[in-house]
Amino acid sequence: MNRGIIFSIEEFGVNDGPGIRTVIFLKGCPLRCAWCHNPEGISFKPQYMEKKTGRMLCGYTVDAADIAEKILRNRDIFEMCGGGITLSGGEPLAQHRFVEEFLQQTASLHRAIETSGYAPPKTFRTIVDLVDLVLMDVKLMDSAKHKQYTGVDNHRILKNLDYLCTSGKNFVVRIPLIPGVNDDASNMQAVLSALKGAKSLQRVELMRYNKLAGAKYPMIGREYHPPFDPAQTPYVTDIFEKHQIPSIVLQ
Amino acid sequence: MNQRIKELRAFIMDKKHHMHRHSSEHLGIHQLNEIYRRENLSPIERAVRNLATVFDREQPVILPGERIVLTRTVADIPDLFTEQEWAEIKSKYYLHERGYVCNISPDYATTLEKGLEARKAEITARIADPANDAEAVAFLQALLQSVEAIQSLVEKYEQYALSKGEEEIAATLHAVKTDGATTFHEALQLLRILHFTLWASGNYHNTLGRFDQYMYPYYRKDIESGRLTEETASELLEEFFLVCNKDSDLYPGMQQGDNGQSMVLGGRSITGAYLFNDLSELCLKASYELNLIDPKINIRVDKDTPLEVFELGSELTKIGLGFPQYSNDDVVIPGLIAKGYSREDAHDYVVAACWEFIIPKVAMDIPNIDAVSLAECVRNRTKDLKHCATFDDFMRLTEDEIRTQMDAIHRKHRNLWMAPAPVMSLLMDGTVERGRDISAGAKYNNYGIHGTGIATAVDSLAAIKKYFFEEQEITYEALTDALANNFAGYAEIKEKLRNEAPKMGQDNDYVDAIAVDLLNRFDAVLQEYVNERGGIYRAGTGTAMYYVWHAKGLGATPDGRIADEVIPANYSPSLFIRQKGPLSVIKSFTKPNLRRVINGGPLTLEFDRSMFKNSENIGKLAHLVQIYIALGGHQLQLNTVSREKLLDAKVHPENHRNLIVRVWGWSGYFVELDECYQDHVINRIEFGL
Repeated sequence: MNRGIIFSIEEFGVNDGPGIRTVIFLKGCPLRCAWCHNPEGISFKPQYMEKKTGRMLCGYTVDAADIAEKILRNRDIFEMCGGGITLSGGEPLAQHRFVEEFLQQTASLHRAIETSGYAPPKTFRTIVDLVDLVLMDVKLMDSAKHKQYTGVDNHRILKNLDYLCTSGKNFVVRIPLIPGVNDDASNMQAVLSALKGAKSLQRVELMRYNKLAGAKYPMIGREYHPPFDPAQTPYVTDIFEKHQIPSIVLQ
Repeated sequence: MNQRIKELRAFIMDKKHHMHRHSSEHLGIHQLNEIYRRENLSPIERAVRNLATVFDREQPVILPGERIVLTRTVADIPDLFTEQEWAEIKSKYYLHERGYVCNISPDYATTLEKGLEARKAEITARIADPANDAEAVAFLQALLQSVEAIQSLVEKYEQYALSKGEEEIAATLHAVKTDGATTFHEALQLLRILHFTLWASGNYHNTLGRFDQYMYPYYRKDIESGRLTEETASELLEEFFLVCNKDSDLYPGMQQGDNGQSMVLGGRSITGAYLFNDLSELCLKASYELNLIDPKINIRVDKDTPLEVFELGSELTKIGLGFPQYSNDDVVIPGLIAKGYSREDAHDYVVAACWEFIIPKVAMDIPNIDAVSLAECVRNRTKDLKHCATFDDFMRLTEDEIRTQMDAIHRKHRNLWMAPAPVMSLLMDGTVERGRDISAGAKYNNYGIHGTGIATAVDSLAAIKKYFFEEQEITYEALTDALANNFAGYAEIKEKLRNEAPKMGQDNDYVDAIAVDLLNRFDAVLQEYVNERGGIYRAGTGTAMYYVWHAKGLGATPDGRIADEVIPANYSPSLFIRQKGPLSVIKSFTKPNLRRVINGGPLTLEFDRSMFKNSENIGKLAHLVQIYIALGGHQLQLNTVSREKLLDAKVHPENHRNLIVRVWGWSGYFVELDECYQDHVINRIEFGL
């Protein structure tokens, strides 16, 4: 009976976990990342977007059981290709009751969650225990810089990352490569240290800064002023490979 | 691609070989038809004389680095008949397209194996049969003369090669002038000669068939004996593929690129073996390396085809060639058997110029003879809604309208006539035995009918069912008046029909059940007709260029589409609907019993190029194709496009000469298309990320 607000369902998600995945984008996020490319996912309320094709209402509420039932219709397809569902956002953990019910209802599917890790540890653990794979963003290890660029302190995030490293749960660490912000060697070294010994870490995904990130801001009546030079090419570390942690650069 | 192939590719792409071309007028052979008329030559005598004359005027050319030769220098093939004669023919007969045999799949294998001398001997023996009638004797003599014309062209090239010190070329030509091929190289050269001759005979949409099957024995033998390595074989293969792009701008078609050089790889044999072999794989790799629009690759797959095959295919999709196109043996073969093809023939099916399923060697099918506008069928009967008590009554009226269109089509096709095609006959089974030209028919003489606007028709029917019959929200007067006035003054109704009504492609059983019903009825109506050659009519889901023709002049439809607005190409969702994504499209479009619409016509999915930035996504696309096949789809074609690039190419064609797009059943260069086709490609739906 839990309701949640989502802003998009993508049927052929190919960048958020194994196989062909249906990705549900939950609306609302406590972070304010300076490079966010889904600004319409930040507010927890429905809002209008002005698209080339006309005005469109972005965000609608759904019932967890209803949406689970719809997704389950494609179970045969997911089984054929080793795919499943991924909850993304926004920050899905910000709607943890909805997420919890949805995950319980879809237990027969491969379930992944893409999260910033910014949630109370209890919430984080409850949800992590329900999924098959966690795609966790690790942006900045330095607490002050984290607050500067994302609007929140990273204390909880690191605590949750610690849990993940020892939980035995399969997980992927995703690092956005933001030129001049977090692509420096010392940040990468710090991430590496945090991941040391994590047996269930599948790999590290280095996500190149999305140069189209600014595209959607005007559609929701906002301006995009990144506090870094978007045209700069980020430094792509090889530190993880050097330490036998598989890594891949995603565009 | 090694250096030699790279240079040859650049030479051909820069059209440097065009300097060797001369028009028939320049060569003084543009009015042969007047001579034929004066001499009162029969059509078949003209066909042979024409070929011999063209070959006589052909000037041997060896492009720098070539090992497989034959380049067209006679730019246009003279017509067999004068304008007045054509007018007379048309007054008496029905002509399909240009009146020449086209769009069938020749048997190259027999001649490759036996050689031209053996074929001559076979014909000579057959001429001696005292039971022959005059027509048979004339036909068989024409065959003989055609082979002789081919041999003299080969001889001319051989002498030229010798004079240029090209000994390998000369030796290859010398061998295949008389004998069957003994090596892969000879087989490719002889295939080039035969294919070249078909085009020079005025036949068109000359498909290449199951190349990886009939060429495999030569390939394997050379690999096993050590004559070739995979690398040297690839080089020859790449050259052959390149050769297919050499004269293709001279081949007749609706648009540049629509030349029907289809090649079919893989497939399940009658004994259950999957026939995708080393050569099939090399073909995909050669196509990937060359990145050219010909030959157009099709892969026969089924639910048990290994994922690797789909992955190899997806690599080609990624570079934006618009092929491979996939066809599903699990659907096509039983579908063809149900339509009366023998089990053996059905297992040998290939794809015609675009997507039509045809049988090599034995079928003189005309799989693109006409089209029924299903969208129009629904629209035309909307005025009779007031006489319908139930939705099913209205479905019956729609079916009646299909019948009305079919009656007209059936009447139109009486007295079919085609110009005799001795060379094509030489390459088809049973013609020598029968002593009859292939244009007179073969073992199968079936006609194919495209069904256009399937999604438009289905969406219209769904809207009628929901808003007129069930919810009764839209009255008869409002609906008919709105359609008649192109929704002027009916904005609310238009919005409801266009944006709120359920649509085919959204995995909605309510709509999809109507699609199942409509396609079953389409097939059932066609089964009531027998063509004058004793063949059947096959229903199909392709559209060819009819998607443009049938949209123009088609008034507003009950799916909220306005008058003259485009309808989808082939078997695809309507262009303006709100898409949920490719899984929903696939699920919707695999619900109909596609065995019944076995004339073919692919579901088309378009992906944004950005999807392939991550190499892992090739595998995911491969899975998507596999899913379509597993769910019972018959045919699938995928495009990789970037909308921005296409828009820019319209404005700056000079910067996008090599931009390839899939048009309806073939890939062509975007900048060479007429604007209406360009715009349609741009408007199609993309599953961008």
